[in-house]
Amino acid sequence: MELSIASFVQIFVAVLLIIGLMVGNAVVMVYFERKGAGFIQRRPGPYEVGPWGTIQAVCDSMKLLGKQIFVPGNVDWILYFAAPILAFFPVLLLFLPIPFGPYLTGLKVDDGILLILAFAGFGVISNILAGWASNNKFGLLGAARAVSQSIAYEIPMILALLAVVFLSGSLNLSEIVENQGSWPWQWNIFVQPLAFFIYLVSMVGETNRAPFDLPEAESELTAGFHTEYSCMGFALFFLSEYANMLLVSFVCATFFLGGWRGPFLDGFWWTFIKAYVLMLFIVWIRWTFPRVRFDQLLNLNWRWLLPLAIINLWITAVAIKFFD
Amino acid sequence: MDRIISQILSAIRAPLDALETMLAAWLPGQEIAALVAYALYVILIIAGGLIAIGSRNLVRAMMGLILTFLGVAGLYLLLASPFLAFMQLLIYIGAVGVLVFFAIMLTKNTSFGEEASFPKLPNIILGFLAGLAPLAVLGPIMIIAAPKIGERTYQATDTAELGRGLITFDLVPFELISIILLVAMAGAVFLAWRRPEARSRR
Repeated sequence: MELSIASFVQIFVAVLLIIGLMVGNAVVMVYFERKGAGFIQRRPGPYEVGPWGTIQAVCDSMKLLGKQIFVPGNVDWILYFAAPILAFFPVLLLFLPIPFGPYLTGLKVDDGILLILAFAGFGVISNILAGWASNNKFGLLGAARAVSQSIAYEIPMILALLAVVFLSGSLNLSEIVENQGSWPWQWNIFVQPLAFFIYLVSMVGETNRAPFDLPEAESELTAGFHTEYSCMGFALFFLSEYANMLLVSFVCATFFLGGWRGPFLDGFWWTFIKAYVLMLFIVWIRWTFPRVRFDQLLNLNWRWLLPLAIINLWITAVAIKFFD
Repeated sequence: MDRIISQILSAIRAPLDALETMLAAWLPGQEIAALVAYALYVILIIAGGLIAIGSRNLVRAMMGLILTFLGVAGLYLLLASPFLAFMQLLIYIGAVGVLVFFAIMLTKNTSFGEEASFPKLPNIILGFLAGLAPLAVLGPIMIIAAPKIGERTYQATDTAELGRGLITFDLVPFELISIILLVAMAGAVFLAWRRPEARSRR
């Protein structure tokens, strides 16, 4: 990509839109999460503020902005404040190579999925730093859990994505979408159901969502790695968690569900519909399944997902070799 | 609707390109931009290294190390190999940095122990010399082999070509590296393995 004013403006506008998407997504998803939780647990959810409680999330974010920043004693100042920043800003970069539509792509890079996977590592680093710097034993335990969990779930996730990369022969997300057809049976999920399933499980594990939310298990660790964060520190972690959920949903939609390709009329709406269906799926399983124990979590990963992903990758490679 | 977006994009692009040709005389060229980026990455690498060896605290030292990895990834980008840069980030920051943190967690570390005190002068000199040793070997080779400025232009290597190289031309070194990793892993397991009878005796 050549250096030009046009490309700078393109990236700048893309980042602005991504910030808007992240904040809007967090507000909307908090509302749907609480309503969904209420629906599943047979209670009304938020209903007081605004029609059907729709203003509740906005009021909550206003409250969060107005709160006092409380820093506990004996924290490591630099790392304590670096952690939420490190959690938030790399996520902006992660949305750049996602093809929302045929023309609506921030940056068409050849190694798009590698860019996403590479900069996703900063999220883990920020969790570690937050847990360690806040000088709190719950925080430290949460950080230690975050380390082993994210290292574990990253591997089957990459292997599942790699099977799709084998099929389309490209690491470029736009090309992966273009290699799929418009109808559901032409999508990659139809060729790679096992990889889709592995990705689905490990994407929940990777974003630290229930039933795999061990780093912040509130019944054991109060709030895990972000126990000592208040106000905007907490808000940045919160935003980045929802943005990471959205990101893995978009990657899943791109890799397995055809991206912006859909029946009748291709376009960016299909990407958003698929991603938000996946988001609602994540919310659904959060309120349906109980939290797993930590050894169960690691056993599921190392004994089931990883061997299955390797076998799947091997079968894919052999099939490509013989049938292509 | 997508067609409208593409039309808007191309409509915006034309005046921006016109603006660029107008400003072309004042804008810094690619070479200056590359020099600025190079300076930034080198500063990142050196600052990270200084933090890594200078801080009393192991987690801060790890952050220095991660800063250095970031700078090295930037240098790879500057050398027109984005694949290597992303792999550097994925492996060194996503995995190695995190594993270093794991190792710190598993060992008992205090910021006022024997290792945290300031080293004696002979030790500093010896450590400095040991650090210079690779430079003494690699430095002359690099000075001899370095191409002159403008002699060679760097093209971004195709990732597919890179992969083809790994399974044909560079297969033996690639496999040797995996054997080294396997041996290291087996050694780690051997060291950490406690036999069942030893465990029951305690």
